[in-house]
Amino acid sequence: MNLVSLALRNLKRRPTRTCLSVLGIGLAVGSALALIALSRSIHDSTREAMREIGDDLVVMQKGASDIFGGFIPEQTIERIAAIPGIIRVSGELVAFVPGSIANTGLTFGWPDASYLWKKVPLRDGRVPGNGERHVAVLGDTAAALLGKKLNDELDLFGETFRVVGIAGYASIINRGLVLVPLADLQEASYRPRQVTVAHVNVEHGDDPVELGRIQREIETVGNVVAAPASEVLDHDRNFTILGAVALAVAIIAVVMSALNVLTALVITTQERTREIGIFAAIGWSNGRIVKSIVIEGMLMCVIGCGVGVLLSYLAAYAFPRVPTIGHLISFRPSVGLIAPVILAAIVLCGLGALLPAWRAVRMLPAEALRRM
Amino acid sequence: MIEANDWNAGSDRSSGARSLIALRGVSRIYDGGAIAALRNVDLQIREGDCVAVVGASGSGKSSLVNILCGIDYPSSGHVIWEGRPIRTKRDWVRLRRLRIGIVFQEFNLIPTLTALENVELALLGRGLSAKHRYTRAGMVLGRVGLDHRPHHLVTRLSGGERQRVAIARAIVSEPKLLLADEPTGNLDSASAVKIADLLFELREMTGMTLILVTHDDMLAARCNRQVRLRDGIVVEDTLQALISGTLVARSKA
Repeated sequence: MNLVSLALRNLKRRPTRTCLSVLGIGLAVGSALALIALSRSIHDSTREAMREIGDDLVVMQKGASDIFGGFIPEQTIERIAAIPGIIRVSGELVAFVPGSIANTGLTFGWPDASYLWKKVPLRDGRVPGNGERHVAVLGDTAAALLGKKLNDELDLFGETFRVVGIAGYASIINRGLVLVPLADLQEASYRPRQVTVAHVNVEHGDDPVELGRIQREIETVGNVVAAPASEVLDHDRNFTILGAVALAVAIIAVVMSALNVLTALVITTQERTREIGIFAAIGWSNGRIVKSIVIEGMLMCVIGCGVGVLLSYLAAYAFPRVPTIGHLISFRPSVGLIAPVILAAIVLCGLGALLPAWRAVRMLPAEALRRM
Repeated sequence: MIEANDWNAGSDRSSGARSLIALRGVSRIYDGGAIAALRNVDLQIREGDCVAVVGASGSGKSSLVNILCGIDYPSSGHVIWEGRPIRTKRDWVRLRRLRIGIVFQEFNLIPTLTALENVELALLGRGLSAKHRYTRAGMVLGRVGLDHRPHHLVTRLSGGERQRVAIARAIVSEPKLLLADEPTGNLDSASAVKIADLLFELREMTGMTLILVTHDDMLAARCNRQVRLRDGIVVEDTLQALISGTLVARSKA
């Protein structure tokens, strides 16, 4: 027997206490992981959606408070397309779907000849043909939520649209999209010859110098700014607010989890005060006693962290299946998130075991032995 | 230090035996002076002594034992081990690890461990191999008559068996001093007799010093010296009586 096997025996032979403590740590770690991942998910989902549809650069109105808040005249798109080094440009009008299908999210209007149509990962059907009006392609989640399949009719902005395609996008936001011809959406939203953003495909998109040059040239066209798709959200006021909310949620999650971990360990160690008195009475040094308590705490912490990661993955699996909200937000705890949370849990567990153990060994053994 | 040597020298002159542990002017006060468990106690225990500490409940017996093994500290006065005052916590830890064994009335065993593991605990940190610790713990359990149940959890043992485990744990380091605080207090009468017999047998075999706290006059009578406490004061010490002649005189009368 050594200190590790002693700790293992103690844990094994007190199954209720061990399970409750491990569960406490696991819930704390799991909820921290899930809440932080969830708080990041809106931002991440939107970024992922932009990457999936967009291209090298996204152009938006200068001074617009958010990505959907500005409007660009279609003539500007034509002038951007003339800049050397740009292969293709497509305008995009964005509107929130009103009425009974608000839950499905956004409607995008693309020009008939837009290259964005060619990038749609069709799961079923086709994209609108040239000049075709009042037709729509639905993301698979939108189709499922609306109960629509190919050739069904869909009421949108007071007009009837026919479903001609079902798209199989990967990002949760794009899966809830409704894609319609730009002309239809311009008409329905009273925005003739206007788009919300423009997607730009550059010849040497992987060359940052070239990308920078084109970005500057686009901005000389007038009243527009251009940014890579991954950075465009950084200038968006709504997403800045969302980011702040996400950070606040993450801080609350971390603080609550830290308190849970500390409580679980402090209670476990305080229950052992009498045992600590016995160790002292048989001649164990303070260092040895503290080491044995900390080893036991750390073993529980390691198991608890494993349980926590498992719980967070279970939550990530179950969350998208929650009716009414599951299709809007998804999250997955990444290794980059798990590592710091586990590290923090280990530090907290160490402190949670160390502090009460240190307090207990400073107590006179006779006093510790009187504790129940 | 000079005082300690004087004390030690005095004991040698009086009896010829070496002083093992001694209290000099020890008081123990609780609750800011409201309770005085021990008042200015002078007591000397010689190597090989078998001492019964007797007295009514609340007389200070347990406080005396706690201070003799360093699990409690005196409010004033000194504890002297083999002529040297014990000053630091580290000294006490070393003494309890190597020289002093303690048996409690409530057994104070670790409930999640087996009999053998409880005994082995006292050997951890002594630089012994795991195999050596295991063998030695098993051997000592055999010595206290528990070789048939070494792998039973202590919670599944009877009171008498638990106290045997506690005794085995206390003697596994071959201490010079064994302190037993009401070792039969939680046992039925048959088990109490067996445990008492075991303690005296072990003392006979090893020659260790035994300090036995008890309410039981019959048990106290089996010790060659009785120390009686009342209200935290030593009111009778048969050794001192013998030295001063009062006991001899009393016996002659």
